[in-house]
Amino acid sequence: MNIATYILRRGIFAIFVLLSVMTITFVLSHSLGGDPIYSWLGKAAGLHPQLAAAYAAKYHLNDPVYVQYYYYLVNLSQGNLGYSPSRNFVPVAQVISQTLPYTLQIAFFAIMMTLIVGILLGVTSARYNHTSIDNGIRAAYMAGYGSPPFFVGLVLLIIFTYHFGLLPSGGAFDPNLTPPTWITGIPMIDSLLEGNFQYFGSAIIHVILPSLALAICFFGIVTRVLRSSMLEVMHANYIRTARAKGLDEGTIFYKHGLRHALIPIVSLSSLIVTWIITGTIFVENIFSYPGMGRYVVQALNGQDYPGILGTTIVYAIVIVASNLAADILYAVVDPQVRLG
Amino acid sequence: MKQNAQGTSDPTPFDRVLTMFKKTPESIVGFFVVVLFILTGIIVTIFDLLGIRVTPYNPIQQNVGVALSGPSWDHLFGCDFLGRDVFSRVIASVPNDVAVSFSVVFVAIIVGALLGSLAGFKGGLLDELLMRFTDVIFSLPVLVIAMVIAVALGPGLTHMMIAMIVIWWPPYARMARGESLRVAHQNFIEAAKFAGQRTLGILFKHVLPNISITMLVYATLDVGTVILVYAGLSYLGLSVRPPLPDLGEMISNSQDYLITAPWLPIIPGIVIAVIVIGFSVLGDGIRDALEAR
Repeated sequence: MNIATYILRRGIFAIFVLLSVMTITFVLSHSLGGDPIYSWLGKAAGLHPQLAAAYAAKYHLNDPVYVQYYYYLVNLSQGNLGYSPSRNFVPVAQVISQTLPYTLQIAFFAIMMTLIVGILLGVTSARYNHTSIDNGIRAAYMAGYGSPPFFVGLVLLIIFTYHFGLLPSGGAFDPNLTPPTWITGIPMIDSLLEGNFQYFGSAIIHVILPSLALAICFFGIVTRVLRSSMLEVMHANYIRTARAKGLDEGTIFYKHGLRHALIPIVSLSSLIVTWIITGTIFVENIFSYPGMGRYVVQALNGQDYPGILGTTIVYAIVIVASNLAADILYAVVDPQVRLG
Repeated sequence: MKQNAQGTSDPTPFDRVLTMFKKTPESIVGFFVVVLFILTGIIVTIFDLLGIRVTPYNPIQQNVGVALSGPSWDHLFGCDFLGRDVFSRVIASVPNDVAVSFSVVFVAIIVGALLGSLAGFKGGLLDELLMRFTDVIFSLPVLVIAMVIAVALGPGLTHMMIAMIVIWWPPYARMARGESLRVAHQNFIEAAKFAGQRTLGILFKHVLPNISITMLVYATLDVGTVILVYAGLSYLGLSVRPPLPDLGEMISNSQDYLITAPWLPIIPGIVIAVIVIGFSVLGDGIRDALEAR
């Protein structure tokens, strides 16, 4: 299979997954959950019967289920996600377009930190295999893996903010600074494009703790996999050849070994991306970061059904899209994948 | 004691556990954490049904006089913002985690083993269809499904259990398929086929017992993951309703008291971490012990 066919296959599969997410959301919200009018309008449905009737007509709620399903998909594809009761009936799509960029910022930094910490510690524990350094690293990733992200976030908050006063307790930037104008939609990139370095610096300071919390929870899997793949690679024939050529152990380890040992990490990337995007929901709430996770919890508390369903679908799109990207990356790095 | 092909006797399960403890001493800790966790869950549930309270205080009894008081001999883990005893609340929430983790993993094993072994054993179109279906379910993010279910059915312990059960089985199905492909062409299966046994009979008698060990090791590690994910759902307020206690819920309702009472979120957090690490250390130990054979 060549790479184009492979990407096409993965792409079709991704669309399949998205369709099934939408179908599940539809089934649960329209047939099982009882009254969809209530779930779209909330309490307003009971207070204004004529509004409810207008909604029923507008969303074809009196038609058979398959017709409803058709219009549901049409609405979704047009970005019509309803209005959000928990945010003064602003369109859900608008709230999401304002909050999603912040979620992407945290996710980006968290993925970077997870990879950097995970790879550094993985290499170190393979290098010092079966020493106290190796055991210490194992204990560290066990502790990180066992702790839920919201717990790690709270501990970081207690240590770095309340005890040492080093980092801000929450928010995405210093509220005294003027946010950049909308260019790409992602505040950090926009501030760099504008040359607003003060804002950029403040945004970086605010993103450290939430993304560090996620990195602490998830670096373990990278470390663990890299350690074992590194130990395996170091027994390979080409490494023995390199040793026979008289290269020093450091060069062999870092230049020849690490390069091959990193390949399995790429196969983990879709798993890590899913965990981290799910994890942003928790850390955004701990650090009052104005992303989609904060919105979804508001929506959950306020029984804002359009808000929950809208964010659910956007989370699914983000996760499926980044898994697709990870699959493609893996196929580029490791040609064997394309055969399967 | 059974004799194996080499004429030496097979080690009993007890011997195996001893070997594991010797090889990986940390699995002793894991073993005791797991036993304590399960026992607490069972004892609290049984006594709860009998109407006898095993916790030192009533976990939902408010006592404003001792609100936010620190750990002491009277209140081992201190009291929360309503003066409820945190130790009692932690103990009372263990049954939730035992129930969720074991039922989710149990159903996942059953569903996964049946679908996976059927796919691997039958092959062809059925295999292809079942495995693509597995792929799709595997790609659904658990939190997303849980939130949608919370919208449709409302929050609650059983609803979250359902949400996790719906999507937890795919790794087990893949494992079962791989293993059953491996055993499907071995002589004893061929013999059973020639003897005219029906597919389901062969599956239950010969294929499933052969894949159970791999799945059990994975399941031990997996229980920890279920507990972590469930804690997250509970933290988001999707599980038990107040005033009932739950580990995740205890963290979320005490996070406004980080300065005045930092132990309130820290203690349930550590309890979650200890349980999860216990299962994963034990799972690692079992796997290492099996690999050494």
